[in-house]
Amino acid sequence: MSDLPPTPEPVAVAAAPIAVLAIDARRLSRTFAIVGATVQALVDVDLAIAPKEIVAIIGRSGAGKSTLLNLIGALDRQYQGELRVFGQELKSLSDSQLSRFRNRQIGFVFQSFQLLPNLSVGENVMLPAYFGSDLTQNEIERRARWLLGEMELATRFDQNPQQMSGGERQRVAVARALLLEPPLLVCDEPTGSLDAASAKQILQLFKDIRHKFATTLVLVTHDPAVAAAADRVITLDRGNVRSNTEVA
Amino acid sequence: MKLRRLLGLIAGNLIASRVRALLAMVGIVVGTALLVFFLGLGQGLRERVLNRIFPVNQLEIEPQAVQLFGTQQVIGLAPLDEARVKQVAAIPGVVRAFGKQKSSFPARLWGGKEILGYNLFTEAFFDGMPVGILADELAEFEDVTGKRAKSAKRKPQRCDVDMDCAAGAQCQENACETVIWASLWRENPLVHLPCGSDSDCLAGTCTQGICHRADAPPSQRCSVPSSAGNGRDMDFDKEHGELAVACAEPGGFCKGSEPCPPSQYCATDNPDSIWGWCESPLPAVLNPLLLEVFNSDMARSLGAAPVGSLAVLYGVRFHVALGDSFFTKDAERNRQQYKQAIVVGFSRKAPELGLAMPLSVVRHYNARLRGAQAALLFDAVLLETTDNQDIPSVVAATESLGFSLSRKSRAARTFGTVVLVVSLALMVLAAIVLVVAATQIAQTFAMLVHERRKEIAVLRALGAAQTTIAALVLGEAAIIGLIGGTLGSAMAYATAAAVDYAAKTVLERVPLVPDGFFVFPWWAAPLAVGVALIFCCVGALLPALRAARVDPARVLSEA
Repeated sequence: MSDLPPTPEPVAVAAAPIAVLAIDARRLSRTFAIVGATVQALVDVDLAIAPKEIVAIIGRSGAGKSTLLNLIGALDRQYQGELRVFGQELKSLSDSQLSRFRNRQIGFVFQSFQLLPNLSVGENVMLPAYFGSDLTQNEIERRARWLLGEMELATRFDQNPQQMSGGERQRVAVARALLLEPPLLVCDEPTGSLDAASAKQILQLFKDIRHKFATTLVLVTHDPAVAAAADRVITLDRGNVRSNTEVA
Repeated sequence: MKLRRLLGLIAGNLIASRVRALLAMVGIVVGTALLVFFLGLGQGLRERVLNRIFPVNQLEIEPQAVQLFGTQQVIGLAPLDEARVKQVAAIPGVVRAFGKQKSSFPARLWGGKEILGYNLFTEAFFDGMPVGILADELAEFEDVTGKRAKSAKRKPQRCDVDMDCAAGAQCQENACETVIWASLWRENPLVHLPCGSDSDCLAGTCTQGICHRADAPPSQRCSVPSSAGNGRDMDFDKEHGELAVACAEPGGFCKGSEPCPPSQYCATDNPDSIWGWCESPLPAVLNPLLLEVFNSDMARSLGAAPVGSLAVLYGVRFHVALGDSFFTKDAERNRQQYKQAIVVGFSRKAPELGLAMPLSVVRHYNARLRGAQAALLFDAVLLETTDNQDIPSVVAATESLGFSLSRKSRAARTFGTVVLVVSLALMVLAAIVLVVAATQIAQTFAMLVHERRKEIAVLRALGAAQTTIAALVLGEAAIIGLIGGTLGSAMAYATAAAVDYAAKTVLERVPLVPDGFFVFPWWAAPLAVGVALIFCCVGALLPALRAARVDPARVLSEA
């Protein structure tokens, strides 16, 4: 990633005190009622992730990775225990407060990109700014174009994302996640749909993002290469943290 | 979320699912089109058909009558005189009330030669109508405003005789002037009503055997040819259709001398008099039904061509013999009068088989030929109400005063009720179509929401609140409603115009067909768009709530 040009004004984000953890989960549990039975997806998980850390969450299918990611990403708040994201207890927020929190504090990157097919690349990237941002249209567009430039997609602004390769689409998704410069990026199998070269490119992108944007990254992955690129790897098994290992 | 951005997303979604949106819109378009169409038709039938037969806020009431020994007997206690008319006028909700008097003397008329080629002869019946109750209708029927506007645009044209002028204009002082026939319908025409004393005159004084009103213009004395002499056997000339007097010359007929201005004629006091006054013909108003009856039932048997339009009857002069009858005993000869009359307009309020004349004229001849008492009592009361809503209470009040609705008013009210009920029924039909359309909208949006669950979950993940998601869905429905309502209204207007055009073309030769069957109130289109909007939003409400409740965590975790 090239050096940033004079950066646009950052989105006003409540700066977390240095002592505040990016993610602070204590005895975090999540149960689902499925066809009359209760399934415990997470069991008393304790987790602490520092700001700017890159953490990979691995585990077999059904281990509770996506459940944990949804809770961290403030998409799900039907949990037991405590969960604070940048010091904010999520349970206490109303829907509109939670939506605003997600909008400002969390960026999402999904395995299957989840770009809206009826919007152009540029419109997809600008989308988060439409929900509660006070930025002007010119400023939003300037940020989107700059981010796409950083992703080497500057010329694709008006293109339909369906005309792009998987790697390109994932880079668009990353640009969208970064538009409002959230302090936390939540990525669900970000390289799961990519070939090896594209996956490598995305991994490098994540490292650059951490440096340039001071972003905390939480990645769910099956890919050993992604896990190896993280600062720490948390292994889940049947809803429990089996290991929490720093990568050398 | 800012409105502009919300609209941008809505537009994007609509374009993406345009085929579904268009299909969902079809029901709304049809429903609103039916609503506006039937609204316009109902209003049109009331205003352009019913209101012309008898204006909704005008009623005709008669003293209550019962069948007794095979005849209708009036059972009202008090005679229908001025006092009772005033009583009716005092009923709350009544703006004004007029007495209407039918002729109680025999009469016959003949004329029509200039149109048919020969004169028609018939017994005549008159309704004396207050001038005010017909004036507006006559002016509207004749399109006086349009005529005046056209006349103002036309260049002045010099002339010597009427033939030099275009149709509808007459030569007056060497200049063509557009004739406004409705203006001849007036209470005090230049007509000399004969009298024996002042008491014979309903207005003014009796001077030299003629009622003179202070406000009447001066008139010119005239005479029939002196050769006619006194004691003429006054009759009409069946061959020439003119009032004729036996001349001194054997075997010949002489017309009355015409020293009067072109618009007037020399009218004598009685058939035996050689002196008269220049006066205007009596203004007469015909019921347009007469033309229909003539064309459909009479023209063929009389060997005459159907009369194409009412317009050709404007200004037609004919003769009336007052006190003279084909069927019954004539009035005393010195009481009879021969007059000219002129067609000045058409009204459904005129009797179907007869003529409407100013009330003062009919009252006068009722007095002259049947005695003063005959001029004092009315046969019916015409009244106007403040508002249509007042009619039920006014009708009840008049019934308590011993009146009942006349046959015409009963028919009008029945027709009005039928039109109202049918209009309402048709609008209920339109509402049912709209309900079905709303169901279709609900179904379409339920499918769209289901299909877009992933997109909705992504939007939620990116920070869209539940209210924003609901607003997106409802916004799409609202736009479908706005476009559908507008298209539906436009379709209704276009269809109405096509129906009117077809009616004009197909029914060209049928008299009495109104200019159009539709009247659209200004609020019809906004109402239709509003109704479409509401039905679409109501239809999309449940899908919108379902969309708002999409669980992003679960949906995004799905494969």
